Amino acid sequence: MNKLTLAIGAVVLAPFIGGLIQGFDRVLTARMQGRKGPPLLQPFYDILKLLRKERVVVNSQQILYAYMHLAMMVLALFMLFMGQDALMLLFILAFSTLSLVLGGMSVRSPYSRIGAQREIMMMVAYEPILILMVIGMYLVNGNFRLQAVFEAERPLLLSMPLLFLAYLTVVMIKFQKSPFDLATSHHAHQEIVKGLTLEFAGPCLGVIEIAHCYEVAFFLGLVGLFWLSNFWIAAVLMGGVFVLSLLLDNLCARLTTIWMFRFMWSVALGLALTNIVWLYWH
Amino acid sequence: MPSAAPTQLWLVVALICGPIIFGLLAWLAQSERTRNILVITATCLTALAGVALAVQGPFMLQAGPGTGHLGDLLEAVMVAVVLGIGYKQKIWPVFAMGIVQAGLVVFEHLGKGAESANPTFILDSLSTILVLIISIVGSVIVVYGIGYMHVHEHHAPPTTASTGRFFFFLTGFLGLMNGLVLTDSLKWLAIFWEGTTLCSFFLIGHDRTPEARRNAARALIINVFGGMSLGFGVALAQHEGGNGSISNMVQSAALLPLVLVVLATFTKSAQMPFQSWLLGAMVAPTPVSALLHSSTMVKAGSYLLLRLAPGFVGTNLATVIALSGAFTFAVTSAIAISQSNAKKVLAYSTIANLGLIVACAGIGTPMAYSAALVILVYHAISKALLFLCVGTIEQQIGSRDIDDMSGIMLKMPYTTTIAAVGMVSMMLPPFGMLVGKWMAIASSGHAPIVLLLLVIGSALTIFFWAKWLGRIITTAYHDHYTVENLPFSMKGALSLLVLMVIAGGAMTGVIYRNYLSPLAKVTMSGSPLANDSSVLLKSVDEFMGWPLITIIVVVAGVVLMALLGLRNSHTRLPFLCGENTPSGTRTFVFRSLMDQPVTAHVSSFYFAPWFGEIGITKWANPVAVLILLTLFVRIGLI
Repeated sequence: MNKLTLAIGAVVLAPFIGGLIQGFDRVLTARMQGRKGPPLLQPFYDILKLLRKERVVVNSQQILYAYMHLAMMVLALFMLFMGQDALMLLFILAFSTLSLVLGGMSVRSPYSRIGAQREIMMMVAYEPILILMVIGMYLVNGNFRLQAVFEAERPLLLSMPLLFLAYLTVVMIKFQKSPFDLATSHHAHQEIVKGLTLEFAGPCLGVIEIAHCYEVAFFLGLVGLFWLSNFWIAAVLMGGVFVLSLLLDNLCARLTTIWMFRFMWSVALGLALTNIVWLYWH
Repeated sequence: MPSAAPTQLWLVVALICGPIIFGLLAWLAQSERTRNILVITATCLTALAGVALAVQGPFMLQAGPGTGHLGDLLEAVMVAVVLGIGYKQKIWPVFAMGIVQAGLVVFEHLGKGAESANPTFILDSLSTILVLIISIVGSVIVVYGIGYMHVHEHHAPPTTASTGRFFFFLTGFLGLMNGLVLTDSLKWLAIFWEGTTLCSFFLIGHDRTPEARRNAARALIINVFGGMSLGFGVALAQHEGGNGSISNMVQSAALLPLVLVVLATFTKSAQMPFQSWLLGAMVAPTPVSALLHSSTMVKAGSYLLLRLAPGFVGTNLATVIALSGAFTFAVTSAIAISQSNAKKVLAYSTIANLGLIVACAGIGTPMAYSAALVILVYHAISKALLFLCVGTIEQQIGSRDIDDMSGIMLKMPYTTTIAAVGMVSMMLPPFGMLVGKWMAIASSGHAPIVLLLLVIGSALTIFFWAKWLGRIITTAYHDHYTVENLPFSMKGALSLLVLMVIAGGAMTGVIYRNYLSPLAKVTMSGSPLANDSSVLLKSVDEFMGWPLITIIVVVAGVVLMALLGLRNSHTRLPFLCGENTPSGTRTFVFRSLMDQPVTAHVSSFYFAPWFGEIGITKWANPVAVLILLTLFVRIGLI
């Protein structure tokens, strides 16, 4: 029962944490660029404003995809805290992203469609790495259930250092940070027209933003999974990854889809595989 | 296993002979009306007999005296037909292989004198699953064929064979497949095997265009090669002291016959390098492709492989089989990305999923085996649905190109919605295909190369499904949709299949726990990794409880909510880099430079230079051949 309370608590708290992280992201990014930046709570103001607007859609399916995106994201977080099968968790996450992609594809707008197709490419690029990461957890703990990771004594980072590095690239993609912000970028970084989420407006966009809060909290939380035994080390890891992603975001420009794909399937996948092979030998 | 009651005997006869006889009558029928009635009777009979047989539970049936000679006769007939086709149509490789087969038959009979064993039929859990798939999904496809062929007749090329003949081979196919999965005699297996090969030859070549002829010939060459390999395997098994039954072959330690039969299963289930026949098969009318790809033909190969799996589990053959299947899965999933022809995408996806089944059979843990079963069942339903949808769309819009399918949501909302459900069922939870893929990946943890191939393949699968699904659901806002007019049989078949897909998705947990997982645990208890696998299976079992139900409830809830939220009038046109021209449905036209109207158009990503069919096949086929050769190396033959 304790686990269930924790999971429900996480589902309730995650959007606030995710929102705060994004607010902090905006402040920090602004400082890096020599601006003052918005208030810390800006993401919350944005979302509240979006939710209060009238519902404008291009077609009626969009509502379905926006809500499905959020619902699956929430479900994934719930499953994570319930210690469920990690591989299935990835598929639920994929479902969530795919809903958003379909939302982008369902509209006859070239921008939205190109963004959506890029998003699928990104999914294809990072999915193997996430699966290999889960396989790594299985090789270490002998079980796919996250419960086994929670109960393990030895921090995962010690057994999966290269997988951790590979995972960082996934975090960059999921945070929509340069050079991987191909489908849509979050801060009007370098876009003239938004991509994937271009044709969403009002409450639907608000729902997608909430889902993104969950996403940010979820993927940053997974970083913590690499060192569960000590809260402070986990916190430092998460903070480090966060700052690193911002730094890279401000250092890089957006690169092409093909470049991203090549990079992910050579460098990142190579790192992940090396780690997996290393785990086999032990 | 109890021996068969008289009713069961008659049910088996009805399942095998019923469709063939009624098909023959349909061929002879003078009017279209009589023919349709006969075809519907055949399908209803098959479906009912299949269900009745499944309900009654397992049995073993020793056919009466004299049937052995019937087998000899049928064997001779099959060889004669192969020789005849090879000679008449000048397909010399087939003729040559026919002669080899004839020699084999003669040699066998000289070797052991006149005695011929009577066939045995066995209904166990595995054949029950197959009988249900064949007799239900197969029958639905045949019913769809009635409406489809009515339209097809009118714009088919003048060379086309008669529709009556078409239905004879179509329903006959079901009977032969039922025989194939029910028999335990290797000899009868070979007869049914050859029978399905011939049926598929006639069906693929139905339109008799040069392309159809060419592709039918290719299918025949490859499958007769498989049949020959099977024939040698059977002969060798008997030579080494087997009693001519499949169960005996599984238990025996002789590996060479096993390898030969496995090779045959690879040809039938179109594994690389034998995939070309299945790709060519799409020239045939849609019901044929649907039948070949989902419930019959290719499933014969996977069925036999799953049947034999306990025979090679733990041997060094198994690793090669797993590798071969995983290789096919990854490579064909990659090629599917570059295809814009809808039927070709479906074909590559079929080959990929069959590869996954083969890989699971090779991995051989109880978990992998249940993954294979899950995929076998769910793939049959979903793929049948998708093929029928593409056939319907093709008849209406006159193209099978995915890029032409933009906006069909408006033209044919009914079919499109069903197709979308079918595609979703191929890749998302809680549907069985994803569960199967999930279990396959989870059970490959101990085989790194297989694992990598499965992981890559599964990521690529998402790509081609998502981009196609995105294409067909594209639509602007419309107040109401007019449902398209379809013949009753087509509409009925599509509705029935989509209901099966949805019900199957909702009951994944029940089906898995009650039918598939117990079967897998019993069959593969001999796997050296069985203990390891049971830990993982426990995790799967737990997932099949509340988490799966939660997913189903959440998905259903969101769909309902969106349906309720549909009534809203605040719609806008999409942004198109300029002012939209106000013109009804054509919302994708905008005013560009000099006030000229420009149509916004985006084609899909295909990445042809990377995933191109020719480029990949060029190197992947030789690699696949090498992997297959390793099978022979592993048993010390080379």
